[in-house]
Amino acid sequence: MRVLLVEDEVRLADNLAAALRDGPGFAVDWAEDGMAGDHMARQVSYDLIVLDLMLPKLDGLGVLKRLRGRLDRAPVLILTAKDGADSIIELLNAGADDYLAKPFDLGELIARAKALIRRGKGAAHPTLKTLGLEVNTLEQTVRRGGVPVDLSPTEYRILEYLVHRPRVIVSKRELLEHLYDYNWEHHSNVIEAHVSNLRKKLDGAVASNGAESPPVIETMRGRGYRMAPEGPLEADAVVEIEVKAATDRLR
Amino acid sequence: MRMLLHPRSIAFRLIVAVLAVELVSSVVVVFLSFGYERHVHFKSFDTLMHGRADEVMGAIGDADDEQHDVMLDQTVLHFPPDEIYEAIDDTGQVLGRSASLQGLVTGISPGSKDGFVELQVNGRMYRAIHVHGGRFAGERVRGQGKMHTVSVLYGGGTDRVWRAIDGAVEFYAAGSLLLLLVTGPLIAWLLHRGLLPVRQLAALAARVSADAWHFDPPASARRTPELAPLTEAMESVLQRLERAFLQQKTFVSDAAHELKTAVAVVKSSLQLLNMKKRTSAEYKAGLERCLADCLRLEEIVAKMLTLAREESSREAAGHVQATELAGCARESVQQMETVAGLRGVQVTLVEPDGAVGNVRVAVAQDECMLLVENLLTNAVQHSAPGSAVVVRTTVVGREMVLEVEDHGDGIDAEALPHVFERFYRGDPSRTRNTGGTGLGLAICKAIAEKAGGSIVLTSQRNLGTTATVRLPVLEQGLGG
Repeated sequence: MRVLLVEDEVRLADNLAAALRDGPGFAVDWAEDGMAGDHMARQVSYDLIVLDLMLPKLDGLGVLKRLRGRLDRAPVLILTAKDGADSIIELLNAGADDYLAKPFDLGELIARAKALIRRGKGAAHPTLKTLGLEVNTLEQTVRRGGVPVDLSPTEYRILEYLVHRPRVIVSKRELLEHLYDYNWEHHSNVIEAHVSNLRKKLDGAVASNGAESPPVIETMRGRGYRMAPEGPLEADAVVEIEVKAATDRLR
Repeated sequence: MRMLLHPRSIAFRLIVAVLAVELVSSVVVVFLSFGYERHVHFKSFDTLMHGRADEVMGAIGDADDEQHDVMLDQTVLHFPPDEIYEAIDDTGQVLGRSASLQGLVTGISPGSKDGFVELQVNGRMYRAIHVHGGRFAGERVRGQGKMHTVSVLYGGGTDRVWRAIDGAVEFYAAGSLLLLLVTGPLIAWLLHRGLLPVRQLAALAARVSADAWHFDPPASARRTPELAPLTEAMESVLQRLERAFLQQKTFVSDAAHELKTAVAVVKSSLQLLNMKKRTSAEYKAGLERCLADCLRLEEIVAKMLTLAREESSREAAGHVQATELAGCARESVQQMETVAGLRGVQVTLVEPDGAVGNVRVAVAQDECMLLVENLLTNAVQHSAPGSAVVVRTTVVGREMVLEVEDHGDGIDAEALPHVFERFYRGDPSRTRNTGGTGLGLAICKAIAEKAGGSIVLTSQRNLGTTATVRLPVLEQGLGG
């Protein structure tokens, strides 16, 4: 998951970025003023935007309004030092999804960040279940058919992203965009290697169990990856998936 | 209406004043009317008495007997019973008198002069006229007659006249009293109506509060010449108060934001450190960062207190402290040289020859140091390595001028007007990233203005910034 952090206080931004990287393993981009934040939000489709309210050049509310003005649906968590229900109401009405008052608890910030990402992807529970897979996003553990699967952090992040978007074709480019921040060299073959390892580990877990099972992650040549549908699909379900995939590509 | 009855209200005082004037006028009217009525009544009384006396005189004619030449024919006289008369001839012989005078001596004689006399008869006061007249008795045709001089006294009781006068005066007095009783409430009612704009103004002014500064004075108050200045004064006072209040509110809110952010940094640093097991080297580094964060928090608090102190003491001018600005500049430059050297910045002090070193300004020593240090720190922080910072002290006219000039990246034109605002962070490169609090320049401004001086920042992007402080020279400083 890739998070945009817009915060002008350098030390606070350092701490937040470190916490979001170390804890849930998000890729974090940092913008130190509203204009830079707005600019970055235009380039990348972020899974979450953490936005300070008082920013130089363009304040948090301005960034938020521009974001929602171009129909960007990225979840927005506001950091505010302002008191008073008025400003909070204004923020929520302007399209913010949640807010935290400074000085906040880092653990709470991470929990809210996760919840917002989850909600943004349409999941309500922190444990995602699909295709016999069980992904616990709090403990960052994965089980397949009840057997624990030991994944590297990057493999886990890829799986978590794919699990959030079942049956949708996710391009390598999209994966790169959502797993790495700006500081990372972008190489799509890195993704290929990680996905290959991930697939082996997931299938291995079932194989050791003795049962035969189709691969969880399908490779759509030239298009990307998707969480394979379990069993033969109903005709209308296929259509739905096709439509979803098409709209996703358009986006 | 309650307002009208309060003993200190203007309305009450006006009513009392009007009624007092009315009362005094009534008393004067009563006195004047008394004098006038007395004059008029006695004049007509006197005329009446004169007429009556003439009548008596007319009734004196030839006597029938031989002893008297003249006599008074009382049968033709019909006078009110309470009036008195007496007629005597030139020998003092009483020709006739009214019944009420029987057996009394009036004291008039043929020699008495004409005119009015006051008499007391049977306990009643009478005013009587005394007239003389000639009467020819005897047969005029035969030339046997003789001229007699007769005196007639005619008087009437004055109590009647007095009663009439009293009646008239009582009428005036009662009329005035009635007028007083009617005008009292009438004035009160009129005043109540007339003071309506005042009440409207008060009602609107009462709505103004710290949360609702809007004050739209009623048109009636603006139109009233007495209220217009008050209304305008209130408007301008409220506007100034609102500005000051907003400024204060902004300061508190900004300060809260700054402090909360600083606390958030410390808290998140500690929580980040505690998120997972770390090596002792990582813990050490983390703790050092936390300590640095705490020091920054401490610095913000200290600067906020300094600013609050400088701004609050601006009004209260105690005894003036005098400091040599040039000396402060010299000391600051010496202190700063090491730090500047580390950044590769050359600090130069430029002082003209002469008595500049002795020139004093109305700033305390520590404030003066703070002023120069803040400006110098800013200049050094924004200087590119290898560039020079120039500190210049000169005397121009009656002013001491301090200039701190750097050749750094400068400030954007749109940010320049705001740099003295507290916590201004329009240009983040000048504050946050260099560890500034956004209060340094606000403190400088407060110090300069307290000393009756000014501070100006001029800047050009990529060319550098110059801070110019002008402080008035203290008179006694010139001599020493």
